[in-house]
Amino acid sequence: MFEYLNQPEIIKTIVTIGSMTLLFIGLFGLLTQKHFIKIFISIAIMETSVFLFFIGNIFNNTFTAPIISERFGDVSKMNDPIPHAMILTAIVIGMAVLALGVSFAIEYFKLTGNTEIDKMNGMKH
Amino acid sequence: MSSLLFIALPLLFGFSTPILNKFGKNAVVYVSTLMQTFLLYLALTLLSGNTAPIEIISIAPPLGISFVLNSASLFFVALFTFLITLFSLYYLSHRKTHAYKNETKFFILLNMLLASSIGLVLSSDIFNIYVFFEIAGISAYILSAYKKTPHALEAGLKYLITGAIASVFLVFAIALIYLNIGSLNLAVIAQTFETLPYNIKLLISILLLIGFGFKVEIFPLNFWVVDVYEGSTSLVNTLFSGIVVKAYLFVFFHTVYLFLPSAEFSTFLIYLGALSMLVAEIAGLRQTNLKRLFAYSSLGQVALIFTAFAMQNQDAIQAALFIAFAHSVAKFIIFLALTNIQKEHKSFSIETLKELNSPFLRSVMLMAMLSLLGIPLFAGFVGKFLVLKSLAVSGFLDVLFIIVFASLLEAVYYFKLAGFMFSKGEKKEPLKIGFTQKLLYSLLAFLLVLIGVAPFLISDFLSESANVMLNTSVYISNLVGGI
Repeated sequence: MFEYLNQPEIIKTIVTIGSMTLLFIGLFGLLTQKHFIKIFISIAIMETSVFLFFIGNIFNNTFTAPIISERFGDVSKMNDPIPHAMILTAIVIGMAVLALGVSFAIEYFKLTGNTEIDKMNGMKH
Repeated sequence: MSSLLFIALPLLFGFSTPILNKFGKNAVVYVSTLMQTFLLYLALTLLSGNTAPIEIISIAPPLGISFVLNSASLFFVALFTFLITLFSLYYLSHRKTHAYKNETKFFILLNMLLASSIGLVLSSDIFNIYVFFEIAGISAYILSAYKKTPHALEAGLKYLITGAIASVFLVFAIALIYLNIGSLNLAVIAQTFETLPYNIKLLISILLLIGFGFKVEIFPLNFWVVDVYEGSTSLVNTLFSGIVVKAYLFVFFHTVYLFLPSAEFSTFLIYLGALSMLVAEIAGLRQTNLKRLFAYSSLGQVALIFTAFAMQNQDAIQAALFIAFAHSVAKFIIFLALTNIQKEHKSFSIETLKELNSPFLRSVMLMAMLSLLGIPLFAGFVGKFLVLKSLAVSGFLDVLFIIVFASLLEAVYYFKLAGFMFSKGEKKEPLKIGFTQKLLYSLLAFLLVLIGVAPFLISDFLSESANVMLNTSVYISNLVGGI
């Protein structure tokens, strides 16, 4: 019934619209939320939306996995593996940065009891 | 092989610290200093070579990862290794009384920062640039929160949040570039970037500008900088203003020259830089905390370098390199001096300068400030003069006026500081400065004067670097040929 959805162009359109919506949800959260953890979640949503946009647009569901062997056949009909490697790296980096951020936030909370970014003004302005 | 050493050795050091730790507490510190000195020696031998240095290292064609060492990147590599060696030497005498907790960790971060800054400068692959961008970011966040005081953590959090946002935009730009061009190599991208549709080009340039804008501290994305400088220790601030910003500035303009050499974009960047400088100097006027004040002065100087780079002509780029050098050296003097002052006075209010009882420290600080201001006979003058000259030649008289006005504002607060330093009042006990530290200060101050009096010593090399940076066609043909 939904066979027509399997066309690469339609999948790409859906992915693009969806990921851009996610990006703006993340941006909205970043601008409106005050709590550190919520800010980190917003950043994570933004990052994920970019990853999704990239992979969704580069991926072709009529192509095979990029493994050179008898089973997967022609090299020209394989998905490009570079974006996947890139995004894996980017996911790991993003994770590390957010984990570091959460640990900073915990340490900061232990010292000051503050969890909100707009109350974070211990220094002169 | 040598250009990979600049990245590989500091990284290798990071992984070998568990073994080094077995040889005693001091092993890490001394081995790291030795390694940095070796890198400095390597950079200086490359600098003194007769032929213009060009080295391209490519790894396996389908990956196309490559590093390019030419006159332009060599200038920054030499500057970074020189500064980091001085930093380590200073720290060797600083740690006798004020050692950081867990020095092993501190030195791993320091070397990661060095490796990633050099990686940013050498790398000619946009995804590698992203990876080094993040490594430099992460080590800088931790270094800025290192003391774990509320202020330090606040600085670290602010730095981290803005850095994470910047990286999202950068990844988005890289994703769009790869989707449209299908390559990550800077040369290949530069060849085909012109042919993209206008909207995609506009989107990519906006994303790149936002992504790098946070890191090159350009208005209005620089609101976090001053808090980071205040929260971090002044010892670490030397690295932020001397090394990290310079690496980001170079890589940003390197990509701009390669992808977007259009006149409209460059005019936009010139005005953006001039505006940033004006805003920074106006905000700097009413500061009463030394760290914040020098942070604003850093913003102003970085914006000046930004303006000079944005002009995209050889004289202006040469001027930008001059200012980058003079600013790094001068800010090293100032933030190291603040470290010495803080040991004794425990305060960063500008009033402490009145009680500062050390003619030596006062005079080197004054020399650094005069150089930042651009007074003749100091290195800062050459750069500022060249910027103003090329602005006048290119017909940007309004920008020239803004920069002169901003420099006057800068002069107001520097002379206020100088007034505080040389005022007669109650002086505290004389400040003790170790022999090594005095030697380092003298070396830095001597460099400022030497380059100020005899700019021709490095002007040929800088002119060549500017030429290499601007002539992207040579870069592209070298790189594409190398693959």
